[in-house]
Amino acid sequence: MITRYLTLVALRGAVRLAGRLLRAAVIAAALVAALPVSLVAGYSAALAWLLGWPPRRLYGAALWCLPMVAVWLAWTGLRAPSGGALAAIATAPYHAWLSMWHLGAAGSVAAAAVTIAPAAIPLGLVAGGLAWSYRISSMRAGTGGLTPGSPVVFDLRQWRHQVRTARARIAAPGSVPLTTPAGGVVAGAVIRAVGHPQRPVAVLPYARLRSHQVVIGTTGTGKTTLLLRLWAGFMATALRRHAAGAGGRPLLVVLDCKGGGDSRRVADRARRVLRDAGARATAVWPDEASLSIWDLPPGRLVTTLLDLIEHGSGPAAYYADVMEAVVSLAAGAPAGPPRSTADFLARLDPGWLAAAYRTGRHDSELALIGSAARQVPDVALRFRALFRRLGPGLDGPGSFADADVWYCILEGTAEIAVAEAQARTLVDLLASYVAHGAGRPGGSAPEVLLAVDEFSAVSRRLPVWQLYERARSLGLAVQVSAQSWQGLAGDESERLRIAASADGGIWLLRTPHPDPVVALAGNRPVIDTTRRLMGAALWSDEGSSRLRHTPVLDPDIVRALDVGQVAYIHRGAVTFVQVKRLVAAPAALAPPAASGRPGWQAAVMPASLPGPAEPAGPAVPPDAGPPSAAGPGGSPVLPDAGPLLDEAFGPESR
Amino acid sequence: MTLSTAKGARAAPARLTERDLRGLVFTAEMYGVQLDLLAGLLDLPPAGAGRVAARWRRIGYADTARIGPGRPWVWLTRRGLTACGLRYPAVPPALSRLAHLRAVAAVRLALESASGYRQAEGYWRSERKLRARMGGRVGLREHIPDAEIHFPNGRGVPYAGECWAVEAELTRKTVTRTAAIMRELLARTADYGSPAAEAAVPGRPPRHARVLYLCSPAARPTVARAAGTLGAMAPRIEIRDLPPAAALDGLGRS
Repeated sequence: MITRYLTLVALRGAVRLAGRLLRAAVIAAALVAALPVSLVAGYSAALAWLLGWPPRRLYGAALWCLPMVAVWLAWTGLRAPSGGALAAIATAPYHAWLSMWHLGAAGSVAAAAVTIAPAAIPLGLVAGGLAWSYRISSMRAGTGGLTPGSPVVFDLRQWRHQVRTARARIAAPGSVPLTTPAGGVVAGAVIRAVGHPQRPVAVLPYARLRSHQVVIGTTGTGKTTLLLRLWAGFMATALRRHAAGAGGRPLLVVLDCKGGGDSRRVADRARRVLRDAGARATAVWPDEASLSIWDLPPGRLVTTLLDLIEHGSGPAAYYADVMEAVVSLAAGAPAGPPRSTADFLARLDPGWLAAAYRTGRHDSELALIGSAARQVPDVALRFRALFRRLGPGLDGPGSFADADVWYCILEGTAEIAVAEAQARTLVDLLASYVAHGAGRPGGSAPEVLLAVDEFSAVSRRLPVWQLYERARSLGLAVQVSAQSWQGLAGDESERLRIAASADGGIWLLRTPHPDPVVALAGNRPVIDTTRRLMGAALWSDEGSSRLRHTPVLDPDIVRALDVGQVAYIHRGAVTFVQVKRLVAAPAALAPPAASGRPGWQAAVMPASLPGPAEPAGPAVPPDAGPPSAAGPGGSPVLPDAGPLLDEAFGPESR
Repeated sequence: MTLSTAKGARAAPARLTERDLRGLVFTAEMYGVQLDLLAGLLDLPPAGAGRVAARWRRIGYADTARIGPGRPWVWLTRRGLTACGLRYPAVPPALSRLAHLRAVAAVRLALESASGYRQAEGYWRSERKLRARMGGRVGLREHIPDAEIHFPNGRGVPYAGECWAVEAELTRKTVTRTAAIMRELLARTADYGSPAAEAAVPGRPPRHARVLYLCSPAARPTVARAAGTLGAMAPRIEIRDLPPAAALDGLGRS
C-alpha cells in the first residue's frame, strides 16, 4: 500500500512537473516567435519598473505609436494591387513578421528591425503594460513574489524608483512649470498617486486654491517651499485671469504668526518669488508697511477697538459698557470718524466730546458724556497703553489695495497678547476691505487668499473656525498651515472642523503624528491574500483572498517623507508630490532706511495724507565732503547742484 | 541703410593720438555715437570727425554706418574694444535704442562741457560699464540707470563725494513705473554687480545721493508727478530738460 501511495505521489509530481515544463516551453516558444514584441515588452516593462511608471504610461506610449501604424498600413494599402488593399492591410503584420525573419536569416538585422517596428513597438508596449500591470496587482494582492517579504520589498523599491524619477523630473529645466495653459497650478512632480490619476506632474486646478486648504508639516520638511509655490501659482494664475477679465485682481494676505528673524527671511523670499510671479508689490507688515485701523467703518471700528481691550466679567462689565459708550461717542462724533491714533486719543476727553456734540441736536449724547465724564480719562489711559503696545503698524497710512501681497508678521512667540490683538485687527481690516471695497481700484471684488501660519498661537480673540466662517461669507480662501496637527487649533473638535472643511485639500508633509489626517483621508478596498508557507521561506500556490479596507494614506510613508515631499489629500485620494522649489530672483529692493517709510508706500500714499514724521537719514555717502545741513523736519538737505546743472542743461524750467 | 565694413583692414599696429583714445573710449562706453556728437567730443568739424572715423575703420577699430536718421553712427569692433581694454560684446548700436543712446551721449557731452563738472572731476560710468559689471545677471528686473556720475572727494564743490544716477527720459512711462524706478535707484545701497542681497539693505547709506532726470517735453510731466509721490525722497530727484543735441533727427542732419 505504501509503495502504491509513493508511486502515486511520484507520478502526480512527475505529471505536474511535465505540465509546468510544457507550459514553460509553450511560453518560451511564443516569446521567441514574437521576438520583436517580446523584446519591446520586456524593455518597456523593465523601464517602467526602473522608473516607477504606472502601466498607463506604457499604454499612452502605445497610443502615440498609432500615427506611425496608420501611415505604415496606408503605405501598405497603396502599394497593394488594385482591389487587394484591404487584404494587404489585414495581413500586413503577418507579412511584416515573415519578412522580418527572412531578413534576419539573411543577416539584415537592421532591415528586419525596421520592417517589424511599426507592428512590434505598439504591440510590445501594450504587452509590456499588461505584464507590468499584472506584476503590480499581484504584488498588491500579495500573490506575487517568491518569498513572503516580496510584496513589501517590491513596494519599498518602487517608492525609491518613483522618488528618483520625480526628482529627476523637477531637476529637468522647464519640465515643471508654475502654471499650465489651462490655468492649473503645478505643485511639483508626482511620486505616487492613490486614487488620483497618476500624471507626471501634480496640477492643482485654480478653484482648489480658491477653497480652504490645510498644510501640515514640521520645520525643515519643505513647508515654506510648498507654500511659496502655492502662493506664486495663485498669484500668477489669478493675475492672468484678471487680465483676461475672468476675475478680480488677486490679493494674497499672509499672517505669519511666529514672528522673529525666520519670518522676516521667509517674507523676503516670498517677496522675491511673488515678484517673479507677477505681484507688483509685496508689503511686509509692520516692518515696511502700515495699515490703517481708522479706515474701518465707524460701526466696525467701535467693535474692533473694544475687542482689542481685555474686559473682565462681573462688576467689570459695567466698565466695559462705559468704555463702549465712550468709544462710540469718540468714533461717531459729528465731525467724522478719527483718522489717526492721535486723533482718537485726543477725542477721549470730556471737553472734546462735549464740544463736538454741542450742536443742538445731540442732547442725549451730551447727557451721556456728562455721566461718563469721570471714566473717560481711564478709557483714554487704556487705549493709550494699547496703541503704544500695538506700534505704528495699524495707524496708517495704507490699505490692502496698495499691494498685491501683504506679508504680515505677528510676534506670536514673543508678544502673544499684542499679536492676538493685531491678528484680530488685521482680519477685521481685511474683511472690511473685501466687504466694502474701500480704496479698491475699480471697485471689483478681489480674489483673496488668506494664508495663516500657526494661527492657533494668536487665535484667542479670533478662533480659527470663526475666521473660516467669516472668510466663507466673504468669499475668501483660507489656507491654514501649522507645524503639527495640534498646531491647527486649540482643541480637537476645532481641528477636525478645520480639516473637514478644507475643500481645496490637505497638504501633509513629514509629521510624526499623521493619524488624524490619515483617518480623514479614508480607506480603500484592497485584496488581501493568504498563502501557505512551504516549510522554507517559499510560498505555495494555495491560499485564499478576501476584500479588506486599508487607509488611502499610508501613515508610515508620511512619517518617512523626505524634504520637499508632500502628500496631497483630496476627496478620499492622495497624491505624493515632490515639490519643485521656486528659484527666487535676487533680493527685492527693500525700502530705504533713510525715509522711515517704505518706498512703495510713499508712492501709493496720497500726498494729502499726513504721514509719520520722516527721520533723518543719510542721503549722501558717509564720506561725502562737506557735511550737509539738516532741514526743518530733520531731513538732510542736499548741497545745491543747481549751478552745475544750469550750466550743463540751462536753467530749470517749471 | 548703408553699411561700411572693416573687412580688409590692416593688421599693423595703429598710431593713435590722445584724441583718438578719448574718442574710442567714449564711443565704446556709449555703445556707439553719431558723427556730429563725435565731432563735438573731439572738437572737430563734422567732416573732421568723419575722417577720424574713417581712419578707425581702416585700422579695424570701428565700423560706421548710416543706421538711423541724421549723421552716420560709429561703433567699435572687437579689435577696437580689445585695444581699449574693454570686454564688451562687439555689436552695432541697437536700432530700437538709437534715440536713447544719442540722448545719453548728448547729456554726457553737455555735462562734460560744463566747467563745474570739470572742476569737480566728475567721472561718468556708463550703462554699458554697469551692465558689464553685472555679467550674466543682466536681464533681471533690476533697473540699471543710464549712467552713474561719481564726484571724487575734496574737489571744492558742494556735491563732492556724491554718486548720482542719470536717467534720460524720452518717452512717457506711467507715473507708477517711473516712481518705482526712482525709489529703486534712491534705495540702492550697493554697486551694480554686487551680491543681490546687498542691493538695498536697510540701514546702509544709499548709493545714489540723487537721481538726475533729463527729460523730453513729453516725458517731463510724468517724471515730475512721479517725483511728487516720493515724499521726503523727492528732493533727491533733479529734473532738467534734455539738451537740444539729444534729438535724434535734430543736429544729426547738420
